[in-house]
Parts: sequence; C-alpha cells; structure tokens
Amino acid sequence: MATEIMPGLALQKVDERIMTLNVGPQHPGSGHMRIVVQIDGDYIVACDPDPGYVHRGEEKMAEYRNYITNIPHLERPVIHDSCNVLYPYVLGAEELLGIEVPERAKYVRVIASELNRCIYIMYWLAIYGIFLGHSTMFMWPAGDREFLIDLMEKMSGARVTHAHFVPGGVRNDLPANFEDVCLRHVNYFEKRIKEYAAVFYDNPILISRTQDTGVLSKHDAIRLGTTGSVLRASGVDYDLRIKEPYDVYDELDIHTNVMKEGDAYARSRIPWLDMLESCNIIRQALQKMPKSGSVRTKLKPNPKTKGPATVYKRVESGRGSLGCYIVSDGKTEPYRLKLSVPSFRNLIALPHLLKGEKLGNMPSVYWSLNYWPVEADR
Amino acid sequence: MGTATGIIRALNSGIKHMAIKRFTLRYPEEKLKFVGDGYQFDPSTGVGIAGLKGRHMLFHDHCTGCQLCSIACEGVAEAIAMVKVPEEQKQNKKSIMPQIDYGKCVFCGLCVDACPFYALYMTNDYELSSFSKEGLIYTPAQLAVKPYVAQDSEIQITARGATHG
Repeated sequence: MATEIMPGLALQKVDERIMTLNVGPQHPGSGHMRIVVQIDGDYIVACDPDPGYVHRGEEKMAEYRNYITNIPHLERPVIHDSCNVLYPYVLGAEELLGIEVPERAKYVRVIASELNRCIYIMYWLAIYGIFLGHSTMFMWPAGDREFLIDLMEKMSGARVTHAHFVPGGVRNDLPANFEDVCLRHVNYFEKRIKEYAAVFYDNPILISRTQDTGVLSKHDAIRLGTTGSVLRASGVDYDLRIKEPYDVYDELDIHTNVMKEGDAYARSRIPWLDMLESCNIIRQALQKMPKSGSVRTKLKPNPKTKGPATVYKRVESGRGSLGCYIVSDGKTEPYRLKLSVPSFRNLIALPHLLKGEKLGNMPSVYWSLNYWPVEADR
Repeated sequence: MGTATGIIRALNSGIKHMAIKRFTLRYPEEKLKFVGDGYQFDPSTGVGIAGLKGRHMLFHDHCTGCQLCSIACEGVAEAIAMVKVPEEQKQNKKSIMPQIDYGKCVFCGLCVDACPFYALYMTNDYELSSFSKEGLIYTPAQLAVKPYVAQDSEIQITARGATHG
C-alpha cells in the first residue's frame, strides 16, 4: 500500500473508505502516546501505536551515576510501582558488588514490593474504570489505594517515589508497631476490593463491553512475547515469583491466577485476582519475617564492582516480568544498563488485537493490556 | 445471573456506601499524622530511622562543612549548594554549610544517608510551596529552624468503614 520514495518518507495511497485517526498524544484515552488507527466506518482496519513521547533517557543517565545515586531516577518510569521497578536493578547491583542481604531485609522487600503491586493495580484499575465511563470504579480504587499508600509512607517516608530499596537491603527498618497496622490495613483493603466484584466485575454492563473483545489466543500470547497479566489471562501459567523465585518468594505459598478466555474481561480481572493474592503474600511474609535484625548491609559511599561482569535479573512487577541488564567494567558506575520493560512487550499485542474491532472498544482493549506509557519509553 | 439482577446488585453495592463514614479528610484543617520526627540516619549502624521525608533540618553545631551531602546530591537533583555562612554563625573551619533548593529536591533522602556527623535530618514539614523560585531556596539559617507541625489525623478502621479520625 505504501511506497517508500526516500528513507523514512513513504507515499501512502489514499483509499476513500479508510480514514486515519490520531488518538493522542494529548487525548485522555491514550496516555502519553499516540495510536494511529485506520478506520473503515466503525471498524478498525489497522492500528499503529506510536510510543516515545515521554522518553527520558533513563538508561543513558544510569551510565553517569554510581550504584547509589541511580536509585532515585530509576524508579521514575513507574512511580506507582517504584519498588518493583527498582527491584531487578537492586538484585543485579548486589550480585555485581558482591553483598549479602540480611534475612529481615528480604522480607521487608517482599512486603514493600507486594504493597506497591497493589498500589499500581489500584491506579490502573481506577483509569480502566474511567476509560469505560464507570466513575464509581474511578473513585473507589483511588480512595482505597490510600490504605496502602499510608503503609508505604510509614515504611519508607514517601507516598509515591519511595527510594526505599538499596543494594544491600532497604534504607530503614520498619517503624514500631508496623506489623499490626499493616495487617489491619491489608485485611480491610482485601474486604474492600472484594466489594468490587458486585459493582464492577459482575456488572453486566462491563461484561457486555469487555467480553469477547480483543481476544488473544494462548498461541498468540506466547508468539507475541506478552508477559504478566496479559499472558496469564490467555491461559499461560507463568509467574516469575514461582518460576524464578527471588529473595524469599520460594519460602512463601503463592498461587497464580490463570484465565483461559484471553479477552479484555479476563485481562481486567487477572490484576484484581493478583491483588487478592498479594494480600495473602503480605500476611504470610509478616508472619514469617524475623522480628528483629539488621535490614541493611553497610556499604561504602561510592561502591566499586569487583571487575568486568554482566548480570541480568528479572522480577514480576505489577505489569509482568521486568528485567534489568547491567554491564559493569569494574568502575563505580555501570558501563551499560538496560531495562527490559513489560509495558513495551504488551504493547506489541495492540495492533494484533485491535484489527477488526469497533473503534468504541479501543479504550477497553488498550488499557486492559496493563500498559504504562512512561515505562515503555524509559 | 441475569442482566437485571446484575445491575440491581451493582446499584445495591453502591447504595450501601451511603451508610459508610466519609473517608476523605478536610486537608488544611486536618493533617495526616506521620511516624516519628522524619527520616533520620544513624551512620554507626548504617541503617535509617523510619519517618517522613520532608523538609531538611540542619544542626549547625554538628555540621563540619565536609560537602558529602552536596556530593551525594550531585547525580540526583543537584539541589544542595555549599554556601558561606556569616561570621557570627560560623561553626566549622571552612564556614560553609548546605543550602537546599526545594525547587529541585526530590526528597530521596540520600543526603541524610551521606552525612556522617548526625547533622542533616529530615522533618515532617511538607508544605513548602512559595510564590517565587527564590522562596524555595532554604539558607542554612532557615534550615536550622525546627518546623512546627500539627498533624493528628490517622486512618481508623471501624465497623462502619474506614475514616480519618
């Protein structure tokens, strides 16, 4: 259809039936990205997601900062999930620097990471609700998120960007009486999110809008390389917390949620089930956590790695597997740092899913991919 | 489950909330209570003490002007500049102390981790807005003042739902 007259400059043949529509980058239904859709009447013929509007050069920035000062800027891609986005970097830096992590710090990290997963999913769910015009589902998650934000604030001292994880453990010990408050808040939070079933997930209006739209088969989900909730909604039982346990996840009893349908409804339901599972993990971790002990291995102010080495670590974030590849040349800064983000990998499925859908189904399919534009652009 | 029952159940779930207490708090009158006096760091053990990462507090009698906080901030926000203090406030030989630009600070607290002399802590003060950029720059004299914070509202979970009591 398109003939390239010069590199990067293509001449497109205009079809009278087809209209090109730019959704974004300022459109509230797209986030910080543009989706170029070609529509024939009400049906989408082709779709071209165009990310890159919020590229910040995190990977290049990491080459000029040492292993400690990299922490505050590396959590910026997903500020709601800041502990999880920092987790692979911290695990990798620990291996490069050759430091052991105290047992208590590992449990604190697991609790912080699970709390952050819930915080992220609640924010994602609030936006999913407002995308579908369900304003109750915007208000409730935005309010109930507060219980967990309050816990993170008690734990790390910041409401959103915590800068809590550090190579060698966590920055500070838990405050006094944290376990009781955490248990109380998490139990109430679990009770609250169970109420979402009646108002949102079992709501016939939501089901009619999301069921059988954007169906991603098991074969395609694997072929396109999707991760996280998108992969699990298509019937693939894959969770890095079980497959490649890091820190103390192998000591906890974790159950993954898998749905076979692979449609937008399954993709929206899986994160909610994950939140219920996260509440279980937090309760287990609080029970098994050593009651006292160090939470941080002392580190020199400007730590040096042992020599040229590479390391790749990945964790299960709120969106899927998040990897961090660090190349070290034995200096105080990483030689190269690469973030392999789940958002970008899930976005690849979007053109595949939107082909043949109605334009009105675009928001429900797009946001069900558990996509965070800022993370995809790094 | 039929469509009608599903919609009625959804509405019923919302109606129940009319009997639940208000969760939001009246912000300028009520303020959230935080743990402790703000984020602090103990250099002898290398572990911090939990607390809110708010505005800094500088203890003039402990500060030696070693610039470690400024160096720690270099790759993060470059918010800390070492400035000459007036002769009457002089505490250390170099007579330089950190001046923090809150227009740049990201409140990560790595400067507090870097201070080996118990001189720089963070406080519970987070209301730092100003009408000018210059108003966000806190001089060593301003940083020495302990902020007045009246924060007492906490999340309370009751049988009738959660509220900021």
